[in-house]
Amino acid sequence: VSTQSTWGIRGAKCAVVVTQRKVPDKLLRPETVTHVFHVTKNIGCVITGRIADGKAFLYKARQEASNFWYKNGYDIPVSFLAKRLADSAQLTTQNVGQRPYGVALILVSMEQMDDGTLAPKIYKVDPAGSYLGWFGTASGQKETEAINYLEKKHRGGKMDNLSVEDSIVLAIGTLQSVLASDFKATELEVGIVTEDHPAFRLLTDEEIDRHLTAIAEKD
Amino acid sequence: MSSIGTGYDLDTDTFSPDGRIFQVEYATKAVDNSGTAIGLLCRDGVVVGVEKTLISRMLVPGSNRRSMAVDIHAGLALTGLTADARQVISRARAECSEYKNSFGVPIEGRVLADRLAMYYHMFTLYWSLRPFGCSALVASYGDDGPQLFMIDPSGSSWGYYGCAIGKGRQVAKTELEKLDLGKLSCVEAVKAIAKIIHLVHDPTKDKIWELEMSWVCDASNRRFQPVPQDLLAQAEEEAKKQVGDSEKTKTTAMSE
Repeated sequence: VSTQSTWGIRGAKCAVVVTQRKVPDKLLRPETVTHVFHVTKNIGCVITGRIADGKAFLYKARQEASNFWYKNGYDIPVSFLAKRLADSAQLTTQNVGQRPYGVALILVSMEQMDDGTLAPKIYKVDPAGSYLGWFGTASGQKETEAINYLEKKHRGGKMDNLSVEDSIVLAIGTLQSVLASDFKATELEVGIVTEDHPAFRLLTDEEIDRHLTAIAEKD
Repeated sequence: MSSIGTGYDLDTDTFSPDGRIFQVEYATKAVDNSGTAIGLLCRDGVVVGVEKTLISRMLVPGSNRRSMAVDIHAGLALTGLTADARQVISRARAECSEYKNSFGVPIEGRVLADRLAMYYHMFTLYWSLRPFGCSALVASYGDDGPQLFMIDPSGSSWGYYGCAIGKGRQVAKTELEKLDLGKLSCVEAVKAIAKIIHLVHDPTKDKIWELEMSWVCDASNRRFQPVPQDLLAQAEEEAKKQVGDSEKTKTTAMSE
């Protein structure tokens, strides 16, 4: 049974996802162990749960995104992608002879609004086939504790004003407090989209280290 | 640790209340009860070895191979149900061939492993199918360098420096960790794998058996092939001696 924890938070102009990166075996090639993937250049996704189910679901997401671009000529908005995936997941709960995917997908992207501006979005799709947009959410181990922690941090709409730096610090900081342990940069995967850099990317180990040091110094 | 999945373990499309899919776990048991297979990623290629338990001394040595090429530069070694293994190999060959037709270049190890993992995974989704009762070691050596991946019946696939599957995997893994992972040469790996398989093999339980090894490396011109007979024989000689010596020290210690 997986002991993975994942969460995502949304700042004023960015969205960040964090997950643990456990490489339990010395014989494993660590660069092949990841739960963070691109759906498109601008939409990132973190898989929590059965990795094989997650990959299959991810490939479906990629197909949806690709089809959308082909038919409509512009990139699929993440809210629409989440809806399509959720509807797909729902079918597995109602069709005979199929089982639900044992994964929750957290999708992040800078979505273009009607007035042309980019707004950060986080959507979570669960095995039941329901999906919601979140200011901050979590999945996996200690899900409830993490969501409660994030609720307190957001009270009064505080997360709407977080800068990119503060968002990353909050995301990584949630870890230390909810899981009550310190982590090294190599034990985390941090994915981010920002207004300045809407393409989804993973932070490098050096960047994560910088933030971990900042958090440690604050304490 | 084993819990009965009473009622929730009959179909692949049923989750148990604690979120497990028992059919996939049972499929993994089929692998865990079969002969050990080991793969090692080396600096100049990949070597795979399989402990083949045989049902009869009348079988022609070297027949009924469990490590087979799926393309010129790639091959699989599987342990578990041999009939299931053949289906997987068949699919892998189709994937390699189709990839080359579509893209004009040989399939990368990572992509082949991913495709096979997707295939494995599909069989864990539907009531009308059952998961494969075998795990696959995917070895390749293309322009992306030597690659070793392992796919288990659930369809998860990861890259490895060294990997052991089957009944002797715990002991084998401990031995593998002692090696200079990723830096061995293929010839050294052949000797190491031979020694480990001879070490984990239980002569009281599986009296008739055969060690089968294949590699894809610089020495084989990046072609997935059986390890040359003379090198294999030499490796087995040394392995038997080393394991025999450690057995002897064990019995002397016991008799003292």
